[in-house]
Amino acid sequence: MSLLEIDQLKVTFDTRYGQVTALDSVSLAMDAGETLAVVGESGCGKSITALSVMGLIPQPPGKIAGGAIRLAGEDLTRASEARLRAMRGAEVAMIFQEPMTSLNPVFTVGDQIAEAILLHQDVPRDRAWKDAVALLERVGIPAAAARAQDYPHQLSGGMRQRVMIAMAVSCRPRVLIADEPTTALDVTVQAQIFDLLNEIQRDFGAAILLITHDMGAVSEMADRVAVMYAGRVIETGTADSVLDAPQHPYTRGLIGCIPSLDTAGDGLAEIPGVVPPLHLLGAGCAFAERCLHVRDTCRDTKPRLTEKAGHHVACFGAQEGWL
Amino acid sequence: MGSGFLLRRIGYGLLLMLGVVVLNFLLIRLAPGDPAVVIAGEMGGATEEMLASIREEYGLNEPLLVQLGIYIGNVLRGDLGESFFFNQPVAHLIALRIGPTILLVVTAQLLSIFLGVLLGVLAARRPNGVMSAFVSVFATIGYAVPVFWTGIMLIILFASVLPVFPVEGMTSVRLRDAAWYVQWLDVAHHLVLPAFTLAIIYLAQYARLSRASMLEVLGSDYIRTARAKGARERTVLFRHALRNAALPILTVAGLQFGNLISGALLVETVFNWPGMGRLAFDSILRRDYPTIMGVLFFASAMVVIANILTDWSYRLADPRLRGRT
Ligand SMILES: Nc1ncnc2c1ncn2[C@@H]1O[C@H](COP(=O)(O)OP(=O)(O)O)[C@@H](O)[C@H]1O
Ligand SMILES: [Mg+2]
Repeated sequence: MSLLEIDQLKVTFDTRYGQVTALDSVSLAMDAGETLAVVGESGCGKSITALSVMGLIPQPPGKIAGGAIRLAGEDLTRASEARLRAMRGAEVAMIFQEPMTSLNPVFTVGDQIAEAILLHQDVPRDRAWKDAVALLERVGIPAAAARAQDYPHQLSGGMRQRVMIAMAVSCRPRVLIADEPTTALDVTVQAQIFDLLNEIQRDFGAAILLITHDMGAVSEMADRVAVMYAGRVIETGTADSVLDAPQHPYTRGLIGCIPSLDTAGDGLAEIPGVVPPLHLLGAGCAFAERCLHVRDTCRDTKPRLTEKAGHHVACFGAQEGWL
Repeated sequence: MGSGFLLRRIGYGLLLMLGVVVLNFLLIRLAPGDPAVVIAGEMGGATEEMLASIREEYGLNEPLLVQLGIYIGNVLRGDLGESFFFNQPVAHLIALRIGPTILLVVTAQLLSIFLGVLLGVLAARRPNGVMSAFVSVFATIGYAVPVFWTGIMLIILFASVLPVFPVEGMTSVRLRDAAWYVQWLDVAHHLVLPAFTLAIIYLAQYARLSRASMLEVLGSDYIRTARAKGARERTVLFRHALRNAALPILTVAGLQFGNLISGALLVETVFNWPGMGRLAFDSILRRDYPTIMGVLFFASAMVVIANILTDWSYRLADPRLRGRT
């Protein structure tokens, strides 16, 4: 049994175009202490996957319409709100993309970390504060005792993301979800944050679900990779296997797109076009419109994940060998 | 929280008050007719000696600027002139009545903010729920209905249908010799209807405003962070969201304070509340200029003080504003 198992998850949203399926048959698994990278362009469902695990899909309009999310065997999609509250922050914690806006502007950062501790641990307030300062020190914030008294606006983006990391690991969660933790940061700071996440994982033994565009970070950090497109996992396997022998044309495009200053962001120079809006998804492969190798089957039928070259891919071309 | 900021704000406030005094002075000068007669209240029967003594007292025989200087000097010494009608110093008249007015206005302000924000927060929790619909309807009615109408309706309701609250005055004569706490409770009992009447329009506005402000804040990333920590919904609403939603509410509360004071004038009249509003109303009818000016002076002082407190509470609510001037 894996530590975290997402099994055939389906999430829908009510929109003005009617009900759309944001996640369709998404299955992912991670073992204790490993890093799973989830990659894909903006809008392909990475954050929704993460929020589903946290039980934080905005409902309405969102809804978990099928499947299961098992944490050590317990199905979180059936858990009570009280159970989810006890789980959030303690067993599964999350770091968000926007360090500039993810901290509450009216409380000191020390307060916000101490709050996370007090929510899940039966310790006195001054002890929680001391722990908060120690955590700030641990994530590499100089003069931590003084910085703990600062408000978020007094810190840089990189420092705020360190604060978020300190807060997330404050209760030693078994799973740490990092949703594009470096997208909003300077390139030099990005590397520092990835290093910090690596160290944290070594020290705290958390499994990390790393959501990112950065294929460089994937090759450095990830044990396994899942590539998502339009709400589905289209290729998944060990990081080595997927990066060395990508099967899906979309994955090949992603890997070909080495992040540099002008391609960093959402555009993919190698793959023209954009992710289709969910309400326009047809019966076939969602990538068909952008695929250079598209055939009629691709437009009519959705490919399913099958094994190929040591990992799994959902592409008729790859499966039938006509790419 | 720099004391420099507070000193500066108090400085501005004093400057503003000086402006009010000058305006008061001009009011008398611009009123038609002989200023001495105007000050005497045009009640007729002011003898030539009286007018002469008024001219002497206000220096009306001196050049205009000297007169202004004399008037400011008088105000600085706490001398706001003498009410022609009561034949008493205006400062004394106001001293007797400012307490009840402050009690009424501050109670109404706190009541409207507290209940309004509570309604707004509950409405924001479910933007499409029953509470939200109630707040919208209530706010619309609250805007539309004039304060004296609410007062009269409440008087009708509580005087005849449901006589649980007194509809007139501030104290009961029969309790004049009772213990202090009985008297306090008696005043509180009398306060219910006037305070609620005065509060209700603003209450509706605060409900609407805090609903909108909360809805915006609840969509923020840091609210998602709070939920991701495992905070319960109550904590998210009242600890994480409300502090951030408070700024626009404080702004409006500060701006509304002046309106609240003028609303108090009507409410005091309707409920026969023995405050400054009642005094102003009577003085206007009697053209008792020195008293009107005195009331104006103190009402302005209350607004200025309220604004200083508002600015100060901004800084309490939002650390990003601290350390700025
Ligand atoms: N609140 C919402 N209402 C409707 N649709 C939504 C909502 N949130 C997300 N979606 C849909 O889910 C898709 C996936 O979003 P998301 O998981 O945030 O993408 P990303 O991979 O960039 O993190 C989006 O393209 C959007 O269509
Ligand atoms: Mg995202």
